[in-house]
Amino acid sequence: MPDLRITDLTIEYSSGGYAVRPLDGLTVTAPSGALALLLGPSGCGKTSLLSCLGAILRPKSGSIQFGDIEVTSLNGQALTEYRRRTVGIVFQAFNLVPSLTALENVTVPLRAAGQRWPAARERATELLDRVGLADRIHHRPGDLSGGQKQRVAIARALALDPPLILADEPTAHLDYVQVEEVLRVVRELAAGERVVVVATHDNRLLPLADQVIELVPQRAVSTLPPARVELPPGEVLFRQGSWGELIYVVERGEIEIVAERADGTEELRTVVTSGSYFGEIGPLFGIPRSATARARGDAVVVGYTTRDFRQRTGPGFNLASSESPAGDAGHTPAG
Amino acid sequence: MLRPALRDLQWRRRRFAIAMLGTALVFGMALVITGVSSGFDAEASRSVNGLGATVWVVAKGASGPFLGSSPMAASRVREVASLPGVTRAVDTVFTRKDIVSGGSDTPVNVFGAVAGTLGLPATSQGHSPTRPGQIAISTKLSGYGIGSRLILAGHPFTVVGTVSNATALAGVPNVYLTLRDAQLVAFAGQPVTSAIAVTGTVPTKLPPGLATLSNQAARDDLLRALTQARSSIALLAVLLWIVAAMIVGSVIYVSVLERQQDFAVFKATGVSSKSILGGLAIQAIVLSIAAAIIGSGIAAVLAPNFPMPVSLTLRAYLLLPVIAVVVGLAASLSGLRRAVSIDPALAFGGP
Repeated sequence: MPDLRITDLTIEYSSGGYAVRPLDGLTVTAPSGALALLLGPSGCGKTSLLSCLGAILRPKSGSIQFGDIEVTSLNGQALTEYRRRTVGIVFQAFNLVPSLTALENVTVPLRAAGQRWPAARERATELLDRVGLADRIHHRPGDLSGGQKQRVAIARALALDPPLILADEPTAHLDYVQVEEVLRVVRELAAGERVVVVATHDNRLLPLADQVIELVPQRAVSTLPPARVELPPGEVLFRQGSWGELIYVVERGEIEIVAERADGTEELRTVVTSGSYFGEIGPLFGIPRSATARARGDAVVVGYTTRDFRQRTGPGFNLASSESPAGDAGHTPAG
Repeated sequence: MLRPALRDLQWRRRRFAIAMLGTALVFGMALVITGVSSGFDAEASRSVNGLGATVWVVAKGASGPFLGSSPMAASRVREVASLPGVTRAVDTVFTRKDIVSGGSDTPVNVFGAVAGTLGLPATSQGHSPTRPGQIAISTKLSGYGIGSRLILAGHPFTVVGTVSNATALAGVPNVYLTLRDAQLVAFAGQPVTSAIAVTGTVPTKLPPGLATLSNQAARDDLLRALTQARSSIALLAVLLWIVAAMIVGSVIYVSVLERQQDFAVFKATGVSSKSILGGLAIQAIVLSIAAAIIGSGIAAVLAPNFPMPVSLTLRAYLLLPVIAVVVGLAASLSGLRRAVSIDPALAFGGP
């Protein structure tokens, strides 16, 4: 009865030279036979988590355990075997090989596992029949609808009957008719002891789920009173990659905004002085902080919820421009 | 990964067909040009073997019995003939002259020996020259047949025989005269000789001023004039192989670039890098072998129409696909390396 256990998982990767940490200290368990939904907006780390579960991306720290397999410590042949035998992946963009027919696409993992062609063909035919594509087995992906492609992708993921299925936005490219076909198949995937993890921001999948894993903390309660924070020199107010619900206005002193580079070094983006604000992008858009805020000397800042902040700034409020090196860099409130 | 590799070939058949034809043309040219180089060897061997000598006696210091010869008195043949182990010894003359006809000069290699003896090849038609004024010519000397009259170095001759495909020095036709006529043409009638053709065992002790040379040395003597040409041909052949390798290599590399997503998916679904490389290698091999087969056909058509002798042996035809596969695989290395480095995370559209 393999359970999926994720413990204190932190994922970090380099993007444009900067360290991006979509997940920081995630701990969650999906029991055997569960269909778990990973919910969250773009950029919250859903796909990164799936990549780690599929042993495609190595996390910065933490542990992923599936049954008795310690996924994060797999290497070499064990890694290939895990990808081949334990995990089936359904990709967002189907990722079928265009030159192969539906049948041949499904046989890829079977052949990679050493099955002879007649046996692989028989199994692939059976799977395509199971997902309702018995009459499309000799069609190439270009001749299939989005829903049919996704069902071929699901059949491919099921080829070696893996105990863990990962699906990345399986309904993203489908219209409502096609979604229905795929939803039914996705629900059936979680039959028996198989664990199915579906990353999505499609709420239509919610009724299917046995477990919902929210990758974004619930938004701040908008009624929090303004928080006055006194910072000694060098004190970090918030770190890059962390989640926050407050936007800060500098009352006294200076706050330096630094970006952490992938190589561990820091880049000073700006220094926010008294009367200016910073840290608005993360709370407003529900994404992690894109830079670290640290006091240069003794400083005092006041944190506001997004609602309070908008009330203070009024209609003249401006976000950092997209060219700005930091989404959380400082500005002067309009009001 | 045989099936995906072959399906991809089928999927991109136009591109592979164009690459295959381009590579085939280059392979064909490489085969022909290598055949030209082999043809030099073959014609030299034919010319020397046809003369029937087992060893050559030349003036000491001469590098060969033909181009490298140093004239010596014809009377020395008697000294050689009397040596122990020598069964026959005859004077031979070699020179290069022109046949003049209608204002155009046709260069020929002139071989002369005592009529009806060692030193003249067997004719395919007619007979060897036995009397003054008679000449046997190569079948490659166009425009003349038995009974034709021709002017060689200002002297009139009548064709009495033909020798099949007798050429030397890059397709220059051979002609054969009696010793007396050859001395007339080469040495203004002086009783001198270029070399003495000998049958029997190699003399262990020679009269002073003489030296022996093997048939291999005689062949090398004929090939010496072609050293630069052979080097150029070898260089050209290497360049052609490089061009072929670049065509195969670039096709495989572009294929890898275009299939990065496919390979990422393969890796993410547990297909080993070795299998992916195997699939790419199969594509390179199929492309190379198909190009080699078509290239062999192109060479077979080109060779007879080539102005120089082209020696295309069965070995060359069999070797071409082998070399083609090696070249194709070597050329694909950068594409294979690229395939290995593809991150399976690409299947998710990056991390």
